[in-house]
Amino acid sequence: MSPVNDPESDLTRKQRREQAREQRKAIEEAEASQVAQRKRLIQLGAVAGAVVVIIVIILIATGTGGSKNAPAPKSAAANSALATVTTMLQGIPQKGNVLGNPNAPVTMQYFGDLECPFCKQFTVTTLPTIIKKYVRTGKLKLEYNSMETATKNPEVFRTQQIAAYAAGAQNLAWYYIELFYHEQGEEDSGYVTESYLQGLASQVPGLNTSAWSESRNDPTYANQVISDAQAANQNGFTGTPSFLIGKSGGTLQKFEAPGLTEAGPFEAAIEKQLKA
Amino acid sequence: MSARALRIAMIVLATIGLGVASYLTYVHYADINPVCTSSSCLKVQTSVYSKLLGVPVAVLGLIGYVAILGSLLAPESETSRLATLVFTFAGFGFSMYLTYRELFSIHAVCEWCASSAGIMTILVCLSVWRFLRGGPSAYESPRTVPADPQHSAQAIPS
Repeated sequence: MSPVNDPESDLTRKQRREQAREQRKAIEEAEASQVAQRKRLIQLGAVAGAVVVIIVIILIATGTGGSKNAPAPKSAAANSALATVTTMLQGIPQKGNVLGNPNAPVTMQYFGDLECPFCKQFTVTTLPTIIKKYVRTGKLKLEYNSMETATKNPEVFRTQQIAAYAAGAQNLAWYYIELFYHEQGEEDSGYVTESYLQGLASQVPGLNTSAWSESRNDPTYANQVISDAQAANQNGFTGTPSFLIGKSGGTLQKFEAPGLTEAGPFEAAIEKQLKA
Repeated sequence: MSARALRIAMIVLATIGLGVASYLTYVHYADINPVCTSSSCLKVQTSVYSKLLGVPVAVLGLIGYVAILGSLLAPESETSRLATLVFTFAGFGFSMYLTYRELFSIHAVCEWCASSAGIMTILVCLSVWRFLRGGPSAYESPRTVPADPQHSAQAIPS
């Protein structure tokens, strides 16, 4: 019996060939599928990696919207900040943490954290307009109060705030506060050190730094930080900057600023009190 | 889930995201306060991080959602799925950056931004799944269908 002439055997061979072809095809398809899957995984990794790199670049580029470290006391940046602050405050009376005419008809309390970038934004963009238009003209007095938000370490917060209030013993607190904001470093970078606080003090025009150092130990300022926190709590403030505006000597009302880079709403609120 | 259902789900999500981004873009240019349960949205919208290279992030979000929708509406292919993956990954990465800024720099969380970040997170997960499982052709290859059924019928006697 020849296998060539046996139709059944021939059929089996055909079937086997068919099966083998199908198996080969299946293996090829499986291999092709594996290659495609591997290619997809590589592409996925490349996309994820590229996105991570781009985001890291954006994070580094945007920083805090300011410089990473506070400028050194005699640096060009510090001198520029000092010139801006001096132009803004020169000639305006100060007493403790209050800027402006003590008999001004309207009072605005500004609750801030010296390390808060949002407060910096307000202080450098909107506050100069308010100071020029209302404080310098004797219509408004500004009272700075502290509220811990951006500063993560409570002891650092207390120390930096007392340093600012201690300059108020020589009626120069607003210079210290303004310089702090203008030279603010990157949040959480640990830039607020003793030398940073001393450096700021050395920039404040006319500040007796020895007397300032002594004032920092005065419990009055530590108590003021505590009473500020109580006031912020009583008013239900949840963030900084927060504000109270009202007739001097009367009850101040909470003022919710619709935006911190526009002076308009602040001016409207002050005008309303002036006309009341 | 079928490829079609997955694609439709992603189109619905991208459309919602597009709505959120459109609203935030409108709020930005109309200079009005966004509808929000607190002042957090306003703080975020007016912060220094609300713009990147001078372009409002709401506009960047709008562009991102348009790109995602465009890639989803394009004919189903390996390239269109890769494009969706690239756009959703970019959107997800940017959302994570903005969330980081909200939590650690601005100290306020905008509900609109959080909802967009949530949509983008779901979209990136779905786009990874869709991309890795490939197209319908991978499942429908004619592995067992004979090329010539007539020939097969003749070859196998009844």
